[in-house]
Amino acid sequence: MAEQDSSKALIPPSATTDTFSRRRVITTAATGAALMALGAPAVHAQTKTIRFLNAEPSRESVRALRVAAAEYEKQTGVKVVVDTVPPDDAYSKLQASLSSGTPYDIGTLAFAGHMLILAEAGKLVPMTKLIEKSKWGPRILFPVKGEHYWYPYDYNFCWMYYRKDLYQQKGLKVPTTFEQMAENCKALTEGGKFGVGHPLGANSATQWMSIGYLWADGLKMLDDNFKLLIDNADMKPRMIRYLDFMKKLQPSMPPGMTQALFGTVLAQYSGGQIAHAPYAGRLMEVLEDRAPDLAGKTGFFMYPDSAGKAQAVNHAADGWVLLNTPMRDEAYKFMEWFTERHYINFLHSAPLHFQPPRLDVYEDARWRAHPLIEKHAELVEFMRGILSSKDVIIRSIDTEGPRIDLRPGKMFETFAISEAIQNRLLKDMPAAEAVDIMAKKYRAVL
Amino acid sequence: MKRIRTFSDRALLLAFVAGVSTTLLLILVPVLDAVRLSLYQAESFISAQTWVGLANYTRILSDPTFWHAFGIGLLFAITTIAAQVVLGVLFALLLDQPFPGRPVVRGITVLPYLLPTVVVTVIFQWLLDGGLGLFTVWAEHIGLGRPAWFENPTSAMLILIVVSVWTWTPFVTVCFLAAMQTVPKSLYEAARVDGASAWMRFWHITIPMLAPMLTVTVLLRSIWMFNKFDVVWLLTKGGPLSATEHLPVLAYRRAFSQFDVGGGATVATLSFLVLTVLIAVYFHYFPLEEKEEKS
Repeated sequence: MAEQDSSKALIPPSATTDTFSRRRVITTAATGAALMALGAPAVHAQTKTIRFLNAEPSRESVRALRVAAAEYEKQTGVKVVVDTVPPDDAYSKLQASLSSGTPYDIGTLAFAGHMLILAEAGKLVPMTKLIEKSKWGPRILFPVKGEHYWYPYDYNFCWMYYRKDLYQQKGLKVPTTFEQMAENCKALTEGGKFGVGHPLGANSATQWMSIGYLWADGLKMLDDNFKLLIDNADMKPRMIRYLDFMKKLQPSMPPGMTQALFGTVLAQYSGGQIAHAPYAGRLMEVLEDRAPDLAGKTGFFMYPDSAGKAQAVNHAADGWVLLNTPMRDEAYKFMEWFTERHYINFLHSAPLHFQPPRLDVYEDARWRAHPLIEKHAELVEFMRGILSSKDVIIRSIDTEGPRIDLRPGKMFETFAISEAIQNRLLKDMPAAEAVDIMAKKYRAVL
Repeated sequence: MKRIRTFSDRALLLAFVAGVSTTLLLILVPVLDAVRLSLYQAESFISAQTWVGLANYTRILSDPTFWHAFGIGLLFAITTIAAQVVLGVLFALLLDQPFPGRPVVRGITVLPYLLPTVVVTVIFQWLLDGGLGLFTVWAEHIGLGRPAWFENPTSAMLILIVVSVWTWTPFVTVCFLAAMQTVPKSLYEAARVDGASAWMRFWHITIPMLAPMLTVTVLLRSIWMFNKFDVVWLLTKGGPLSATEHLPVLAYRRAFSQFDVGGGATVATLSFLVLTVLIAVYFHYFPLEEKEEKS
């Protein structure tokens, strides 16, 4: 007790009696609130966060985005959080984020139809001014009612690779017709090695890697009114020629191609199991990484047609979209900054695979300085030639028709063309009948 | 009606409420939402939804794809359940016999069931790989060439059945083995004294005593196999040529990739209804007898 009393004596009377007066409490609280309010903008700026859904899961691509995010945060105080999912999961993840009320601010899409759905649902913010700052290659911008909602970073063209050394050994020439292609593949099929690996399953891999021949042969699936052309008098013979050609190629393919996906073909070619492989620049990157001796022995050509008159590539496009979220203005600013300062760094994360849709990039010394781009200058020129040559046909199922529309997207997802190939190859169905079944399936979704 | 008085009663009530709430939240709400979606036309989960009433049902029920998938589902479910039950009972009988190392063998028998489905499917994909698969190489060595396991509709379905039976038979084995421990040994001894053969003892004692377990096991396996999505999707994705596309795969394709959320929800709802009817019919013919307490 004595100790308590002595301590009390040390405290000034004003502090003991007035300290907890109502006035003092109110004054203190008001001062505190004012100080907090003064500090609020700074605190708020620090916690601004942009959520970026990335669908390029390679280590290098994720790193490129994280480096850019860190630099942006350092410069502006705005945090950019990058989540990464496999490409096939990006749209589902984006939908789930929207449905759960926690949408991403920036997303990655690999299918123009998904962009269309999101734009029509009012979930996207246009980037038209940003897009108009650059010149773009053909068939890569898909405007919706005059506005651009996505910023493409990759053409994703698919063409054919071949083993130059084996061609030399067998005295073969680069094929310019279906017939020559089938003969070359046959000649290169022996002793457990196969001529070519075309996926045959009902999946995206098949529709990206196995149908380029069709475009080369002049196939058009839809007219300008989105009416199906595939079984008319002009187009049906082309489909039949293609299916019969695939039937002829079948003995030159490894067994199990209905199960083959993108990685399967990469493994088959880099492992020396097949002599031809359809792919984009990724194949050369994989060869440099896993089988560098094969990189120098690999040549490339576009899909030939049946008559030796035309050539084509199949394409699929990848791009970023801005979601209509409370952070849309900040996300737009980030995209402006990112596409100006880090676009090329990001493209360098897959230097031969990410084919720039922005034409200025090809002349940019920073882009050209990458060791793989320098080393494979011939391949890079070939890739660039796809954009500049008027003789090369660039098409894909989901972008058929006069403008971007969901109908060709639905056609893509029926996998009816994959089933036509399977009917011809696995069931030995006459090609004409397989085309009729395919046309019926397409009509059902149009 | 008993009153809740003790701590134990309250704990039980709490557990019951928690269970019912979880079921309502995680199962009934999605089911009801799927039923609601089946009455709308929508291209995605975020697109505008247009009321179409029962039009989706008319469309789906008149689509041969639905009936094909329904048939495939029945074939897959019936064959896998039959094989699982027959093999499961057989293994349970074997494992019930005394032999050296029985505990170890019993443990090993359960292993396939403990493996995650994705691991099982990757293992089988590798074993059956067209180029390097062990089974493919063996087939070639014995002069069968390189079978294209997944390119033939029949062999693709057979693979699904074999993988499913291999994975889930241990569940049936464990259930029956446990149930067999409850059969009084005195019944067998009395039957043996009366001169009953092994088969007669099995048929007249084991099977009747295991009937309730058999009913529940077949019911559970029916529900699980009819709705089995993972193994089919991971191994064949419904191919080749839709030969293994059953209702869950069809519903998934329609809702998540073919821009037909209403159609996908309709397939899922119809699948749910079909299963409910099948269960009702099953219980009609194989009712579970309740043991009534006599006071």
